[in-house]
Amino acid sequence: MRLKTAQLWGLVAGLAIVQGLVHEAVVFPLWKKNYAVRTDLGNGGLSPDQLLLAFAGFRELIAGILWVRADSFFDDGNFDAILPIIRLVTILDPHQIDVYSTGMWHIAYNFTDEGSRSDRRYVPSAVALGIEGANNNPNTYELFYETGWLYFHKIEDDYPEAVKWFEEAMKRPDVITARRNILNAAYQHNGQIDKAADYLYNLLQESEKRVKSGRDFMASTNRDTIENNYDNLLVRMAQRGYFAKKGGYYQDWDYDTKPPFDVGFSAEVSVVEPKVIRVEGTWNVLPVGTRIRIVLRDENFPHAVPAGMQWYQGPAINLDPPKDETFMQEQLFVKNQRFDRKIDMSRDPLMYPFAQDKYIVEFYYNPRQAPAYIQDKFGWSGEGMTDRNFLNNDVRPGMNVIYTTMEFTRDQLLRQGAWENKVPVVRTKNYVGFGARQLQDQVFKVPGIEPEPDKK
Amino acid sequence: MGVILAIAKTTLGEAVRRRVLLVILLVGVLFLAIAPALEALSPRQELTVLRALTLGIIQLTSAVIAVVLTVYLIPNEIERRTIYTILSKPVRRWQFLIGKYLGAVGALGLMMLLMTTIMLLVFLIMRKVEGTAEIASLAKVPFAFFIQMSLLAAVSVFFSTFASPIVNFFLSGGVYLVGTVFDSFFDVLSKNSQLNPAVKGMASIVHVIVPNFQSFNVQNPAINQLQFIQSEGMFYLGLGVYAFTYISILLIAGIVVFEYREV
Repeated sequence: MRLKTAQLWGLVAGLAIVQGLVHEAVVFPLWKKNYAVRTDLGNGGLSPDQLLLAFAGFRELIAGILWVRADSFFDDGNFDAILPIIRLVTILDPHQIDVYSTGMWHIAYNFTDEGSRSDRRYVPSAVALGIEGANNNPNTYELFYETGWLYFHKIEDDYPEAVKWFEEAMKRPDVITARRNILNAAYQHNGQIDKAADYLYNLLQESEKRVKSGRDFMASTNRDTIENNYDNLLVRMAQRGYFAKKGGYYQDWDYDTKPPFDVGFSAEVSVVEPKVIRVEGTWNVLPVGTRIRIVLRDENFPHAVPAGMQWYQGPAINLDPPKDETFMQEQLFVKNQRFDRKIDMSRDPLMYPFAQDKYIVEFYYNPRQAPAYIQDKFGWSGEGMTDRNFLNNDVRPGMNVIYTTMEFTRDQLLRQGAWENKVPVVRTKNYVGFGARQLQDQVFKVPGIEPEPDKK
Repeated sequence: MGVILAIAKTTLGEAVRRRVLLVILLVGVLFLAIAPALEALSPRQELTVLRALTLGIIQLTSAVIAVVLTVYLIPNEIERRTIYTILSKPVRRWQFLIGKYLGAVGALGLMMLLMTTIMLLVFLIMRKVEGTAEIASLAKVPFAFFIQMSLLAAVSVFFSTFASPIVNFFLSGGVYLVGTVFDSFFDVLSKNSQLNPAVKGMASIVHVIVPNFQSFNVQNPAINQLQFIQSEGMFYLGLGVYAFTYISILLIAGIVVFEYREV
């Protein structure tokens, strides 16, 4: 029996080596690659029982239970409570794509002040969440698309990033056909007009093939949409002088973008009550559709760039923005060549703490964000737009934008100290006020419907 | 072989009749049956949540059944003195142990099969799965759980050769926790270049020695679709070989210990 026992122990030792080899060489590497989820649970804020279950391999179960709970918070409108749950669910199960996309949308869009202005301090966290989600789910287009959409639609001012993420999304085979059209728009917003045209052309070829194959019911509708977009783009490229510029004969002919139109921007900001500003100004463009961005921020706001901020600030997802930083961004809609907007920041002290001494107000207009009928005059990069005072091609290299700044102090914005009984007013040097300006019809010359000039 | 099968059959019959196991099973089955109702609470992600919940219920219930079923296997026979009757016949101790284990695993398999069938039926009735590929993807998970629970049962059988049921319950539960919780942790430690080589060595040894229950948690791709699985066949083959080898180690060690135990 002794010999037999020794043999058995020897067998145990041999099998122990075999299991170790099989596990380390085959099972564990493949499991990590295919099935593992993140293990950095230490700072997730789970309760002890949740933590125990999470560690014990029931992560997906807990993630599901938490998400059910989050949904009840959505229904109650308790948006603050949802944030930590979203984070926990994505930590527990980083393959829950819908939680990532819902979380990004929620973080970027749903935290607003009384005037429905988003708290932009959250946007970098939404971007970081999208990038994390995309990296954790590289086999599907969804989070690449969602991240691109965040740059395209919410941020609106970092189109190279939008293009980058949309391009990544389009590389994935599961991308929905109708969603592929968005990359064309992103290329145009990014000033890559040739690329937009090439892309649409390729989409059109593919859609023709789908129509011929007869397998896809929606194929012909999609083909018609792409064809329409492609036609429009080619016409715009011609009328806005894009081809002429490339061919070197832009100066020889009339195009919609010529001569540059003076937008005549002027503005006045007055602090009518503590933390309440009134913004008035002029803008020569008659058609409705202009949105001029106004930003009010701490003078030394971290990661600030002109009229915005660096929207990607690293992989950290901070769901509790610093309570001493102020950043307000709003769009001023122009009607009848003027804008007049009261912005009340007094009701949201957490969003607008006004804890610093100096503040910057920035005005910014970028034709890349303009609707097509305004771009038809201004061009994709503002070549058809000018302004005597505020035309700027430094803050966004490669394009003409309107940009100017004003400075305020904390005392002025809070109407305290020397400003308690005085209304602080800061205006651009050319500001003339509404009374001095007469509204008049303006006629834009459209070369395409006029007789061609007798040139070569 | 006939002796082993006879003992296994008897054990299976006993297990199926045990009320405590049936209660646990009933709770699990009830949860599975009502799980689809939870989708009303989660209009977003309902399918993901539903799959996560049902598979979690199966895993959790199976783990409890596996431990509760096996901690009493040997001690009960000794306590009730029925082991004398068995061992007085031409039955070797190793045959007794293996027969007991196989019977327990058989009972476990039946219970898990029941839960899996109910889950798939509920999903099919509710039209939450479509096509054989999706059903197969979902059914693979309980299969991996079954292998995991068979390993857990082997751990428990090994401990039952020398420990009382209560002690065994905590020992088996502890090994299960360590094997699921800390295995990745030990792996990270063993690959950390800044750590003391002795600590790294210890971490590597623990990582290799402790049964890795975590590797059987394959539910994520079934819960979240659109994941690309590489070398799946190789993985399942390796998993089977790993489980078989580890179960063999535990049973052989259990046989040796049981041979020397006075009953």
